[in-house]
Amino acid sequence: MQDYQDFIEDVLVDDQKIERRVAELGAQINRDYAGEELLIVCLLRGGLTFTADLTRYLTIPHTLDCMSLSSYGMGHYASSGNVRVNLDLMTNIEGLNVLLVEDIVDSGRTLAHVLQMLRTREPKSLKVCVLLDKKYRREVPVEVDYVGFDVPDKYVFGYGIDIDEHYRHLRFIASADLQKYKKSDKADQ
Amino acid sequence: MQDYKDIIAEILIDEKTLQERIKALGDQISQDYHAQDLLLICILRGGLVFMVDLMRHITVPHALDCMALTSYGVGARASTGNIRMSLDLQTNIENKNVLLVEDIVDSGFTLFHVLEMLQTRRPKSLKVCALLDKEERREISVPIHYRGFSIPNKFVFGYGLDLDEYYRNLPFVAVVDLEKYKPPSA
Repeated sequence: MQDYQDFIEDVLVDDQKIERRVAELGAQINRDYAGEELLIVCLLRGGLTFTADLTRYLTIPHTLDCMSLSSYGMGHYASSGNVRVNLDLMTNIEGLNVLLVEDIVDSGRTLAHVLQMLRTREPKSLKVCVLLDKKYRREVPVEVDYVGFDVPDKYVFGYGIDIDEHYRHLRFIASADLQKYKKSDKADQ
Repeated sequence: MQDYKDIIAEILIDEKTLQERIKALGDQISQDYHAQDLLLICILRGGLVFMVDLMRHITVPHALDCMALTSYGVGARASTGNIRMSLDLQTNIENKNVLLVEDIVDSGFTLFHVLEMLQTRRPKSLKVCALLDKEERREISVPIHYRGFSIPNKFVFGYGLDLDEYYRNLPFVAVVDLEKYKPPSA
């Protein structure tokens, strides 16, 4: 595996900025749901780091659940297709306040499908919190209630977001220079 | 939901002690897997917070995958029986160095079964990192290669461990005062 310093283009958001913003989002969520209870839904695997850090700032009563999703179809069809649920929620969300926590939204297709699907279960409320919003890539309208940062249409990694499964542990978010990045021969996905 | 302050008997491991130990574990893992590639497996949902903090201290190349497990059967059969994988790994672990990351090991049955199952996929190596080890409760022998803390047989919560699904976000591990704790009505 390459050292990330060999292909990093820019640090888009450094660790201090992330920490401050995550704390702000936590405070905002505490205010907005004051007197209520909340179910935090972590979308695997990219949302893990953000979820762990965000919940440290929550003071309202909340529970945690996870979902794992993938797309049906390959290549051209992948992004427009329906969403397959690999791991569904353990929690019945009927009548609950639900907040989906995602690392990044780009086309919005996956998120739109998940929201549609979850609405059929009649939660009391259903909102979305994303760390990164790649607005320029949006293909379907989807309402995002809490946004960490708007990011340009670049190949990003770090803070939960991988390149070929690596680099999720980095404390900052960076863009990759794909000319310099060499796909690992061990990567099997 | 009750305020956690109303139900704490004692803080077993405070935030600073936890974070220092997790860093030491990360350093140790980085040394042991020097020049190797590693796959970290997070056992949901309890292991989530520990995993995120641990991997920040791992300097060797590593990938992350998740597993969710549930028990078959109920009551007396539940804890010794087979386990159901509700979410299997996306990664083929054949010939990979695999490190399972768990929040807590008590009876050891779940861990025992997962290890047995994963061994059939012929990983290059398969080790276990557990934050908390309740050794007194052990009913079957399991290896723990990296252990955060040995803890007494008390009802603990916080730092990923829930009490009826709540309190996972607390930055410390505490013991519940069961006299004062009232489970939320369903």
